[in-house]
Amino acid sequence: MERHFETELEKLHHRLMKMAGIVVNQIIGSLKALQECDVEAARGIIEQDRKVDKLDNKIDKLCQRIFALTQPVATDLRFIMSALKINNDLERMGDHAVGIALKIETLAENRELVSSVDLNDIVLQIGKLMEKMVTILAERSTTHIFDIFDLASEIHDRIEVHSKEIIDEMTRKSEIIVVATNLMLVLTQIDRIVAYTKNIAESMVFVVEGNLVKHAKPVRLNPEITSEPEKDNR
Amino acid sequence: MLHYGSKMALNKITVDIPENEVTALIGPSGCGKSTYLRTLNRMNDLIPGVQISGVVKIDGLNIYNRDIDVVNLRKKVGMVFQKSNPFPKSVFENVAYGPRINGINDKKKLQEIVESSLIKSAIWDEVKDRLHDSAMGLSGGQQQRLCIARALAVNPEIVLMDEPASALDPISTSKIEELIFELKKSYTIVIVTHNMQQAARVSDYTAFFYLGELVEFGRTKVIFTAPTKKQTEDYITGRFG
Repeated sequence: MERHFETELEKLHHRLMKMAGIVVNQIIGSLKALQECDVEAARGIIEQDRKVDKLDNKIDKLCQRIFALTQPVATDLRFIMSALKINNDLERMGDHAVGIALKIETLAENRELVSSVDLNDIVLQIGKLMEKMVTILAERSTTHIFDIFDLASEIHDRIEVHSKEIIDEMTRKSEIIVVATNLMLVLTQIDRIVAYTKNIAESMVFVVEGNLVKHAKPVRLNPEITSEPEKDNR
Repeated sequence: MLHYGSKMALNKITVDIPENEVTALIGPSGCGKSTYLRTLNRMNDLIPGVQISGVVKIDGLNIYNRDIDVVNLRKKVGMVFQKSNPFPKSVFENVAYGPRINGINDKKKLQEIVESSLIKSAIWDEVKDRLHDSAMGLSGGQQQRLCIARALAVNPEIVLMDEPASALDPISTSKIEELIFELKKSYTIVIVTHNMQQAARVSDYTAFFYLGELVEFGRTKVIFTAPTKKQTEDYITGRFG
């Protein structure tokens, strides 16, 4: 049976996908701009933030309207609750991409240091991570959940390694402290983006299976938790 | 199992209805939820051609045993219907009717029962100055609460409600819902409702019926957030029914 608010739910899904598209572009773009110390590209990413903020408000209002007018339950309720959270997570991810872009001008002052840290592996993995995140959002599925948690963990480990390298470099050359600190902050921003991607994956588990898996640590190390999760909403 | 003539209306329903909680029966029209409700105080016995098999136990006793006194059973298991049906008598007499036929004639005792029943039904303040006026002069919502008072006057353990608020405006509906919330402290309530949100608001447990069968029974908060059966999910989200 066609329901009168089906179009509203489709619109919500469509807007979330649009939001995800812009944010993923910001993230990939900011990392590319970072590697190339491309200040012009960084400005473009910062400008996109306005679009993200506008869409963020639009999605919030749409959720509010669906809640007020249709009193959703079960799968619809879970989807709209999660849409609010995912929207928030995406907006924060966009903010971190902007945060990276904002530092590019300073980092461009010491291109050698930036190029001495091999970010290729992280950029590649972030690309894969974003692709999988967009897929689970588009398909409303949990098929890539473990891949997402594994990738997130690998990226986190790589960030730790690079952070240590940068600290070692700083202790040797005090003149690079400002640039090196900025580079460390960029790595922290990447780490936060990865953490938000994990949140989104957890939200999708809630949408699809109705189980809350957030805080159910260590999800990544114990596959049983996601395949047969705790029913803590009961 | 319950048949109306050759038509099967209920098939193998097994459910434990918890004491002092509100259980909502939901499902599309003709799914058997009202029929099931009426098995709990043997109201179906009055329908010609009905055949019933199975067991309904209240306090451990099968109410379909031959030696069960149906009048006593209905005292213990009161009922409120969709359309308020006060007797064409005064407010007082409506509530005093049940206790009176149970042999209570002491005027003071009757007054006490009438007052406490009307207080429990959250209508006392509205009718205390017109106890001897005709009940037919009350509004629809007041008449429905009067009928609840009449059901409570014989001191039941269980109150069955068949769409008690479906003919009422939103304010009267919310009064009935508040009342249900209060009443569950002292009574076990089973309510049939077509209003999904009402089921979600007032009940602790929900039973979803479809084509005479019980598809899913569970805590309302689970049924309305993550039901386990797809049919339940489709029905409560409005995908069919």
